[in-house]
Amino acid sequence: MNNSDSGFDCAIIGAGPAGMSAAITMARHGVRPLVLDRAPRGGGQIYRNAAGSSLPDAGVLGPDYTAGADLIRDFEGADVRHEAGADVWHVGDDGRILYSLNGETRQASAREILIAPGAIERPMPIPGWTLPGVMTAGAAQVMLKSDAMVADNAVFAGSGPLLLLIVTQYLRLGVPIAGVVDTTPRENYLRAAPLLPAALRAPKLLAKGAALLASLRRAGIPVYRAATDLRVESDGRAKALCFTSGGQEQRIAAENIFLHHGVIPNANMARALGLEHIWNEEQLAWQVKRDEWGQSTVPHISVAGDGGAIVGADGARHGGRLAALNMLMRLGRIDLPTRDRLGAPLLAEQNRLAGFRRFIDRLYRPARALRVPENSDTLVCRCEEQTVNDLRAGFDEGARDPNALKSRTRCGMGPCQGRQCGPTVSALLSDWRGEPVADVGYFRLRSPQRLLNLEEFSRFRMAVPDQEAAE
Amino acid sequence: MFRSLRTDTPELVRLTVNGQPVDVPSGQSVWSALALSGQIITRRAAISGEDRSAFCAMGVCFECMVDIDGLPNQQACLRRVADGMTVTTQDIVEATGGSGQ
Repeated sequence: MNNSDSGFDCAIIGAGPAGMSAAITMARHGVRPLVLDRAPRGGGQIYRNAAGSSLPDAGVLGPDYTAGADLIRDFEGADVRHEAGADVWHVGDDGRILYSLNGETRQASAREILIAPGAIERPMPIPGWTLPGVMTAGAAQVMLKSDAMVADNAVFAGSGPLLLLIVTQYLRLGVPIAGVVDTTPRENYLRAAPLLPAALRAPKLLAKGAALLASLRRAGIPVYRAATDLRVESDGRAKALCFTSGGQEQRIAAENIFLHHGVIPNANMARALGLEHIWNEEQLAWQVKRDEWGQSTVPHISVAGDGGAIVGADGARHGGRLAALNMLMRLGRIDLPTRDRLGAPLLAEQNRLAGFRRFIDRLYRPARALRVPENSDTLVCRCEEQTVNDLRAGFDEGARDPNALKSRTRCGMGPCQGRQCGPTVSALLSDWRGEPVADVGYFRLRSPQRLLNLEEFSRFRMAVPDQEAAE
Repeated sequence: MFRSLRTDTPELVRLTVNGQPVDVPSGQSVWSALALSGQIITRRAAISGEDRSAFCAMGVCFECMVDIDGLPNQQACLRRVADGMTVTTQDIVEATGGSGQ
């Protein structure tokens, strides 16, 4: 092992399905990777707490979730150096990684780095989305998984499989729901139909989706289809969700409103690293430019799982293994024919899942008005409180790209570093310029990827292989 | 209204939330502790000063930044509760200096 520079052969950032699968594969081939993840245990968001749920019966969350527990156990049994609670805030193309752990700053370096940062929910800017009581469907999931916490009589609004999943989980748990407001545009069903044959190559996934929809109907909760013009009514907090459906104005009183219309790669780390990105018009998202093994335009940096492009949990597992095989080859642990031989079935499986993914992407393509907000008072940047109107004024003054708009209006400069406004800013500029998002680009991002305080910055340690952190 | 589905009897820890003592199960997030005790306001918006609350609950949005034991800008959804912890709504707005950075 080449530890002459006190570095690790491999570091993996993120312990979701991609990161855990990669770590297990590395360990099986004799490389002990450094695995850094913010959570107390592996699992990522999808398998959060799957191995230690505080729910009386975690089975209600579904077989996919409980299957995550097996992966977590394999991961915890593998010979890896897992630093739980590590919040990585800098990765350099020089192999240097900086992170916070227990109020300390730590530094590590690695020859091969896999980043597996997972997905974030696509921002859904509607009037009133910053009101207390409005959260994302992902938030409802996380609160349920990590702390067995639910909200009674909530409204779920938006589109996509994750929205249906949390609704079904609430139903199984007997948690009352005030209503489901589906924003999936009607034309999506027609547009997705030609892709159905390819999706049928993954029949289990398709059957799962159909079962979710059926249970919703059986439960008899109000479901409003093709809803538009969503806004949250306020009395200082969320009071009701108002919208139009079936040609009629509707209003559902609720103090908890969960929004969701799809997920996109959590791109900030890859962006700050300067990795090349490409625009995926099918997924309406930026994704890291990579080869089929997950290797980025910087050869010793790979990206796997939803953090690279949305592939789902199964796709993330395969992607993690593929990236690991490639890194093992680059480290000289396996030769090229071995990598290709071991990778072939995984690539075939990736290909099969891709057919299903294209169908889902088309079926749940977010409504345009929810990506490109039309109401001029809608807040786009939650942190710096910039509305569509504020951004339009900046554009009219000559700020034609995201970075110019950022310096002029401060949108994207707050603590979330553009995670909540970046996609909307690019979409608005694309619309105003009449040019594709690919030409408009995205915010230029830098480290650190989180807020730091001086106190933890002053406590500094190196993390080196095969021993506890030393001064 | 948030509620817990837990049926076991977890060990409790005592926090002080905006000056009031609150007993919550150990191991849960600070955000869950706030939500279950009915105190969902985490911070004020940087410019308007309007109330804000947790939005994503997974560390992405930074809406749930609170003051924990005197340290500002702590993401309530990422921190675990600890006995004796003091949690306070964060009142930093641009007019009072600092944009939360």
